[in-house]
Amino acid sequence: MKLPAPAALRRFAAFAVIVNGLFPAVWIFLTSLKTEAELTRIPITWLPHAPTLENYVRAFHDQPLAIYLFNSLAVALLSTALTLFIATLAAYALARLEIGYKDLALGAIIAVSTFPLVTLLVPLFQTMRTLGLLNTYAALVLPYTVLSLPVCTLVLVSFFQSIPVDLENAAMIDGCSRVGALFRIVVPLSAPGVFTAGLLAFVNSWDEFLLALSFNSATSMRTLPVGITLYQGEFAFPWPVISAALVVGIVPVAALIVMFQQRVISGLTAGGVKG
Amino acid sequence: MTAPTSGVTPSFDPSRGPTPRRKRRFLDANDAVLARVLLAPTFLLLLVIVVYPVCRLVWTSFLELSLTSGLPPRFAGLENYVSLATDPEFWTALTNTLLITLITVPAALIAGLALALVANLPFRVRWPVRLSLLIPWAIPLAFVGMIGGWFFQSDYGLVNDLLRHVRTTRIIWFNSGWLSFMAICLTITWKTSSFVALVLLAGLQTIPDELYEAASVDGAGVFRRFLSVTLPMLKPSIAVAVIFRMITSLQTFNIPVTMTRGGPGTSTVTLAMYIHQNTVDFLDLGYGSALAVVLFLVSMAVTAFYLRQVRAQP
Amino acid sequence: MIRSARTLFVLAALFALPAHAETTLTVFISSALRPEVMRQAFDRFEAANPGVKVTAQTGGATSDLQAQYLNTVMSAKDSTLDVMLLDIIRPAQFAATGWTVPLDKAVGDRTAFLQRYLPAYAEADSVDGKLVALPAFADAMFLYYRKDLLDKYHLPVPKTWSELAKEAKTIQAGENNPDLQGVSFQGAPIEGTVCTFLLPYWSMGKTLVHDGHLTWDRDAALKSFALWTGLVKDGVAPRNVAEIVTDQTRKDFESGKAVFAVLWSYGWNLFQSPDSAVKDKVGVAELPAVDGGKPVSCIGGWQWGVSAYSKNQDEAIKLVRFLSSPEVATLLAEKASLLPVFPDLYKDPAVLQTVPWLAAALPVVETAKARPVTPRYDEVSNTIRTQTNAVLAGSETPDDAATQIEARLHRVLH
Repeated sequence: MKLPAPAALRRFAAFAVIVNGLFPAVWIFLTSLKTEAELTRIPITWLPHAPTLENYVRAFHDQPLAIYLFNSLAVALLSTALTLFIATLAAYALARLEIGYKDLALGAIIAVSTFPLVTLLVPLFQTMRTLGLLNTYAALVLPYTVLSLPVCTLVLVSFFQSIPVDLENAAMIDGCSRVGALFRIVVPLSAPGVFTAGLLAFVNSWDEFLLALSFNSATSMRTLPVGITLYQGEFAFPWPVISAALVVGIVPVAALIVMFQQRVISGLTAGGVKG
Repeated sequence: MTAPTSGVTPSFDPSRGPTPRRKRRFLDANDAVLARVLLAPTFLLLLVIVVYPVCRLVWTSFLELSLTSGLPPRFAGLENYVSLATDPEFWTALTNTLLITLITVPAALIAGLALALVANLPFRVRWPVRLSLLIPWAIPLAFVGMIGGWFFQSDYGLVNDLLRHVRTTRIIWFNSGWLSFMAICLTITWKTSSFVALVLLAGLQTIPDELYEAASVDGAGVFRRFLSVTLPMLKPSIAVAVIFRMITSLQTFNIPVTMTRGGPGTSTVTLAMYIHQNTVDFLDLGYGSALAVVLFLVSMAVTAFYLRQVRAQP
Repeated sequence: MIRSARTLFVLAALFALPAHAETTLTVFISSALRPEVMRQAFDRFEAANPGVKVTAQTGGATSDLQAQYLNTVMSAKDSTLDVMLLDIIRPAQFAATGWTVPLDKAVGDRTAFLQRYLPAYAEADSVDGKLVALPAFADAMFLYYRKDLLDKYHLPVPKTWSELAKEAKTIQAGENNPDLQGVSFQGAPIEGTVCTFLLPYWSMGKTLVHDGHLTWDRDAALKSFALWTGLVKDGVAPRNVAEIVTDQTRKDFESGKAVFAVLWSYGWNLFQSPDSAVKDKVGVAELPAVDGGKPVSCIGGWQWGVSAYSKNQDEAIKLVRFLSSPEVATLLAEKASLLPVFPDLYKDPAVLQTVPWLAAALPVVETAKARPVTPRYDEVSNTIRTQTNAVLAGSETPDDAATQIEARLHRVLH
């Protein structure tokens, strides 16, 4: 894309974006280095006056934070993988195959996502209990997959549609099956779409609180958002310790993002699409 | 070079080009079967996880079922829906929810577009901008709300600290329904613009450079190129982003709950909060289910309306 | 043939073992209410009852999060939990929904049995003539005050709200500190704000519920609103009181920003901690009365209930009897500073040695009243706290708020 603006303007825009995105995270980080007493000062302080790592020590000591983090990551990765797989299949059917009920199917998929999770809470709890899945990863992975299926399917549909049919046809003439064409041609060319959908599914799963609170109540299976609320007292809300826990929670996700951002945002240099 | 199809509409698009005659017949026969196989996992999962609870939900909405009454469920027909229609708190919640949607969907769209465009610029080091695009997302939703509540707190909040330099009297954000509303919308927009930016950024990547070059050659400036190349090519991504932003916006729950708890009074209660209150707190399952069905109907109406607008455009 | 018969016999004996197997009781407690001290109580029970193991399931730090979890699990008629620790506002709801079993058969004469406890618990734990829960530990709202500041200005501990307002104004004027609040109390849409509304209302001698029916006094309600808004108007209470949650009051008082504070008992220990800016400067007293009224407090505390879906109800009831005994109350008081539910323990010299402030706490917990005991308490709480919050925020007039509360309570309480 042609550079639309002078370098200074671009740099300013980048700066604005960085401040907008990172500011609260940086604020949380700074808070994690403060003491509770410092937080009650008026006017408020920005940089910690006497930085301390005590909050991080307490964060790991008061709760098994590492376990919560691991559980959240495991559930998120599993549900992302499952979502991507199922959504890829469904999106291909909806994007390519000439079936009469396409609109109905898409409508149904969107309709499903309009029900707030709270309304499904008790029936789902009973289902999971009957299946004996409470306090397992499956109890959360399955609902989270359903949570992200609609948006991921739609994202993939719009990506698959943007890839010319010729390529798949060429592959199929060479003896490839339809599904093979899907996984060998369409998916690689839709890499940005696939990684976008993956990120969407990952964060939906990472964010979720209500089901995680009720389904995985055992300490060893708790996820991060639920675990972090346990730093509270009956009334007390210790921001410094909670901030430390949040930082510990954000860092792995940030690392994942940095690792995969190149893939999400890679240009289509494969050449197959552009002319 | 074939132009990519536009729009998320799944109907048959004749511009997709011819398929080889020989294979076509073979594929046609199996298309239906293959389609069913490919869609099966999706619908199976939806059936088990969603459809069964939803059917129970709809059934319960026709019952008078309040766990605290200790009475067995009684079939009540449309009674819950009638109470709902005459419940002022329901209308407040619905209005608040629609207002939030009306404000935050366009706001997140504009913010997300801006963020995506900046992230798409060819910087030498690209990961800082992209990271800041996505970090708002890595913070769990409930905590974004708590942080938002803290930022707008009148004594210890950042916002008032910054405003201190501009005005001497403190603004007490959470004393006013409108200011609380604004604070909530701002927080929601901040968090969800990442989602929009991500979807749009992926869409931006599919726009071939040649189109920009061609427009450039025709004498189009930056703004013209944006309007005639970028925006039209982004329509499918925008459609996806808007639909889901709308749906999640109608279900806004976490941020108002942690920021204002619905206060002051009931001025920031959303429909999802009201459903949660009635279902989980008050244990009035009949009424809560009816509210949820109404939310579903509203969501479908809004989505259908939007989709029709999208399809109507050439 | 004999060998196979013997094998059969051994196998039969093995399968008969469950009759002598251990019973495991699962107790749901808050992660924020000293689970490690609760564990000691459980250990004592296990020692006295061989064959029974007690495991604790900690969930949710706040009362709301625990309620969310319990409401979900019990709606699904789950049998994992045998015993539950419930916030005082919940036993009525749990009894009506059939989630807890009545404990009458285990205690004999209910009235006589409950006399040993603080009077408010007799009210809170009896629903429809049945005993639905037993008290675990107590809590109430106190008036915390800065001893040092009152001494400095030669002021006595205020007995009425007008006295408090006058004294606060004097101190605020004298200290010349713009950040010093006269009194800190809760006005956010939280449970504590229900107490904020009820304290003056009760102090005027009115009750909200009598025999399960609503006894609404509009005048008293308006006077209650007027008391609090008056304090804000006079500058005694901060203008942002509608934002103040329980812990904000604690933090403000602890950092020396308030002369008086209306707060639960948990504040005391924190105020005496080494990091506190008001260590050794804090006194605790009964909450003031309205002019011409009686001093009254709001009772809190937690109760033990037995799950109706428990598979070990008899053992669970035994455990609950033990946990609500003076022995455990002493343990909780000494090790966790949790207020006892037995008035006698407040005068026990051994206990007073470890927790001296109990002497000051006794008159407060004895006169504390229970919030309306009704299965639909959540709705009662919801309307009172949102309307009170609206009045304190200035977004609604007291007249409208009073009308709304009355309308809602009529629907809920008849």
